Amino acid sequence: MRDREQVLTVALPVLTAAIGLIGWQVAVKAWAVPQVILPAPSDIWNQLAAVWTDLLHHAAYTGGEAIVACLMSAALGAGTAAMLASSPLLRDMLYPNLVAFQLIPKIALAPLFVIWLGIDAPSRLVFSTFISFFPVAIGTLAGLVGTNPNAIRLCQSLTASPGQIFRHVQVPYALPFFFSGMRVAATLSVIGIVIGEFISSKHGLGSYILLAGSRAETARIFAALVVLCAIGLAIYGVIALLEWRVRKAWRG
Amino acid sequence: MLDAPVRGECIRADSAWKIYDSAKGPVEAVAGVSFSVRRGEFVAILGPSGCGKSTLLMMCGGLEPITSGTITVDGAPMTGPRTSIGVMFQESTLLPWKSVLDNIMFPVELLHRPRKEHTARARELIEMVGLSGFENHKPHQLSGGMRQRAAICRALVYDPDILLMDEPFSALDAITRDEMNDALLDIWGRYTKTGLFVTHSIREAVYLADRVLVMNRRPATVVADIAVPLPRPRDPSVGESKIFNELCGELRGMIEHSHRAARTPSHA
Repeated sequence: MRDREQVLTVALPVLTAAIGLIGWQVAVKAWAVPQVILPAPSDIWNQLAAVWTDLLHHAAYTGGEAIVACLMSAALGAGTAAMLASSPLLRDMLYPNLVAFQLIPKIALAPLFVIWLGIDAPSRLVFSTFISFFPVAIGTLAGLVGTNPNAIRLCQSLTASPGQIFRHVQVPYALPFFFSGMRVAATLSVIGIVIGEFISSKHGLGSYILLAGSRAETARIFAALVVLCAIGLAIYGVIALLEWRVRKAWRG
Repeated sequence: MLDAPVRGECIRADSAWKIYDSAKGPVEAVAGVSFSVRRGEFVAILGPSGCGKSTLLMMCGGLEPITSGTITVDGAPMTGPRTSIGVMFQESTLLPWKSVLDNIMFPVELLHRPRKEHTARARELIEMVGLSGFENHKPHQLSGGMRQRAAICRALVYDPDILLMDEPFSALDAITRDEMNDALLDIWGRYTKTGLFVTHSIREAVYLADRVLVMNRRPATVVADIAVPLPRPRDPSVGESKIFNELCGELRGMIEHSHRAARTPSHA
């Protein structure tokens, strides 16, 4: 019974996607939609097979930079959260500003990073980190300051130092929150790198898509999108796996 | 040297006050409480909710600052938490990611005590409270009563001399609560500790304690100090005895009386 439910939770979304793809294929062929407007899945697949090595070359840049940006977001997000959690004064000073800062459409700031840091990888990495660290910081902070006050009281009764309380109680409490933030950061970091590549790069899937777009090679754009999805899924998958491990340690 | 501790005296409060500042002005949470607890004695603080009894207990544990007056433990004034004092809270406060055994060993870990001999002690305590077989369970897999049993083990694993208990069984159903009281009596028979137990249950106070301090709501102070002349070891049949029920009746009368006094408008 349980096995059947598990099979269904995997089978249902896969089947739905398959039906969607088949519908797409049939519709494009039936109405003879021009390939430049919307290629059929089979055309995208053929294109993918044809430019496979080229795509891999660009994917290595985009994927590598997205992973680095993701790690930088984890460090910056957790560091910011730890700093704000340690001092109510700092929290009062910075937290509202940090939230207000989020109202800026940060993608619009990408050209500034080119001015400040040039057109190479550091510029893209910093920009991507800049747009993706926030959910990690907010999530982790919520976990750190939301720690069960009774658990803190218990530690105090055992003469624990603030450092011990942080290490033994607050950090474990915040871990699931940290990973929830990281899941959002995983997708944002790929977006950040692609935007950076749109603006400045000669490499990467972002610049590949831009070039294909200027030549109206629609199937190629879709082929690159498939690879981008795979990169995003892979990063997301690793984080979800880590999160699952942590939750398992929690729930037994 | 005038205030040298009386022989056998363990906890002593001398007109201890706790005054909070609130938007409506100062609030007297504890108003000049004085009492003393001898070593090895089990004393219950009995009072209605909101009478400041938990605050008083936390002051004895060094977890709440004292506004004025003094509380001394083993002759030294309380200024902060001490490792000779263990605290049990209303909630079991087990850490959800740790197993039962690791939760019980948590104080040992924090205090950097030798792990091996304390593990043996933890297992002995687990056996005593009837949690054998659940060492590797996580807190969410246990019932409320089992969680509080684990919390008792955790409070005793590092062998504090004094145990402060803040309504530890008040969130449990009546049947489980009776079981927990018996488990606590068993433990008390085995490890002699000095105990201070806060409760709003008259029967619980009489069943467990050597002495009951009755606390009033306004002013928040101890209005009576009643000895419980019931022999130990005690078992549930004590609850049927005449002397037990008379004492409960007497205490109930005192609490109702102080309630009425609190409702009557005092001097203009």
